Amino acid sequence: MTARESEFAIEARGLVKTFRTARRRPGALGMLRALVAPERVSTTAVADVSFSVGHGQLLALLGPNGAGKSTTIKMLTGILTPSAGRASVMGIVPYRERVRNARNIGAVFGQRTQLWWDLPARESFRILRDIYGVADGDYRSRMREFDDLLELSSFWDTRVRHLSLGQRVRCDLAAALLHDPPVVFLDEPTIGMDVVVKEQVRLLLRDQVERRGQTVLLTTHDMTEVERLAERVVLINHGHIVLDGTLAEIRTRFGSGWRVNATLVQTEPATGRCPPGLRVVRQDGARVIFEPDGTDGVAPPQALKRVIDRYEVTDIHIQESDLEDVMRAAYLDDRADRELDGELDGETVA
Amino acid sequence: MREGWSTAGITALGELLSPSRLTGTAARMSVQLFLVVCLWHALYSDTETSGGLDEGQAVAYGVLAVLALRLRDTDRWIGRDMVIQQIEFGTIVYWFLRPLAPWRYYLRRAVGDQLYGFAWAAAGYVVCLLAGVMDPPASAGAAGAFAVTFLLGQSVLYYLVLLTDQMCFWAVRNDSAVEILQFAQNLLSGGYAALWYFPGWFQTMSALLPFQATLSVPLSFYVGRLPVDDLPRHLAVQLFWVVSLAALTRLVWRRAEHRVVSQGG
Repeated sequence: MTARESEFAIEARGLVKTFRTARRRPGALGMLRALVAPERVSTTAVADVSFSVGHGQLLALLGPNGAGKSTTIKMLTGILTPSAGRASVMGIVPYRERVRNARNIGAVFGQRTQLWWDLPARESFRILRDIYGVADGDYRSRMREFDDLLELSSFWDTRVRHLSLGQRVRCDLAAALLHDPPVVFLDEPTIGMDVVVKEQVRLLLRDQVERRGQTVLLTTHDMTEVERLAERVVLINHGHIVLDGTLAEIRTRFGSGWRVNATLVQTEPATGRCPPGLRVVRQDGARVIFEPDGTDGVAPPQALKRVIDRYEVTDIHIQESDLEDVMRAAYLDDRADRELDGELDGETVA
Repeated sequence: MREGWSTAGITALGELLSPSRLTGTAARMSVQLFLVVCLWHALYSDTETSGGLDEGQAVAYGVLAVLALRLRDTDRWIGRDMVIQQIEFGTIVYWFLRPLAPWRYYLRRAVGDQLYGFAWAAAGYVVCLLAGVMDPPASAGAAGAFAVTFLLGQSVLYYLVLLTDQMCFWAVRNDSAVEILQFAQNLLSGGYAALWYFPGWFQTMSALLPFQATLSVPLSFYVGRLPVDDLPRHLAVQLFWVVSLAALTRLVWRRAEHRVVSQGG
């Protein structure tokens, strides 16, 4: 099956990745035992992940640290071989045909640079141009394009070791996209970057998806980024997919959609005499946040009236619940399910 | 073709962009050569022949050893480009994301580094020869035998270094292995001093290991300590090591590809 013949650009079916590691017990005896008879334990980083991404789609793969996002990306890029399941990128099984797959993908892994540390960034671009066999004309036009969007020319003659984090990540993005791959994997590409650079990166990604039709799989902890870029979100936790849907669907399922922010005249615990149909999300002195408790389907204007009727307030307004709250609700929902199934053991969700 | 040169020239390009590093390399080589020449002249002040080598042969051997060691002396550490660093920083993943197999990339880089080191060694050789510091090859045949065995010796050395780098895929760090290799290489290859000065049992033991084939054999042909008639036997030994180590490292590459784990997620 050729690349465009496959219905999806990226396909994961029942992916599992288990790592075997040696467990060392504390103390000198434990060290000795680990040397003589090491105890091997299996850690499942990805338990059962299935999803697909259509051509020209931007999907955000979200989840807390250690959820299995990076391991999933490493299987999809062909770096890791799954313990079970199957992956396909542009019709190619990535871990079986690494070199062929490499021509179809570009990747950025957080703060890990693929640029040569001791050379000016532009030399790295030239080396990659030659490795990927990019024609000179295409190379020049791509570099012009990247320069327009990311302002690379002001620092691309600087050695990589002397670049700031933001400059380096912009160069890394250009390096990953230089050969115009149809599929791009970005594992926390904007981590630690300032808002200006983040915006430049978002513009570039938007441009790649909308104008060039590239498929992008992005992992990030930045919900603004998700809201600005992603059409679809896959939430992963403990190696399992918690949800898969559009942002609107996720908001409907896990977010109340809105909250009432009120400042009371007197500082008093609001929980005890909460208005009907509402519950207190948080109270910080006189400032209280309410959300619908789901019992009577209260609408925002009614909620405002009920709060005003119940308390003396100096300020009150409706706030759309942000994506971070929605995601937290989804994690908590998953946690509750897993607790019911007896799978969790003293873990905390931030 | 252009792809090969680009990859091979990475270390050389980094060095050429740093004039201070070039000056440092030139100064270090000059000092090492000066000290080696002084040492061997001093050691031969009271004797004419030792270990079957006269003063001229001993000095030529010592100078060539310094120049040969320069071949693999390029500093990749500063460029964060050692395999151990790539694994520690997690950037090794990019080796598996390019349309260039990791073993091929490693080979090209090593060949480029050795060619760059060879340029330095050749320049040093010409200067030493013109300055009358050392003698030319013992004969035309000796020069030919030196050239062929030196090339094969560098191939053996390439595979030995590759093996220690491949260890990083299992052990994360290979410092101890590198230290052992460097010491064994310098001692057992005759890099510190020609093996002809060592007792018979030591020479027999080193003949069973691959190190002797990397330096002692070619330099001994150059100075005329080994007769050219012995060339086929030494070529056979070198080829044995090249083929064996190539097969072993190929096998290890295959295993290593399943061991790629970048640190920290």
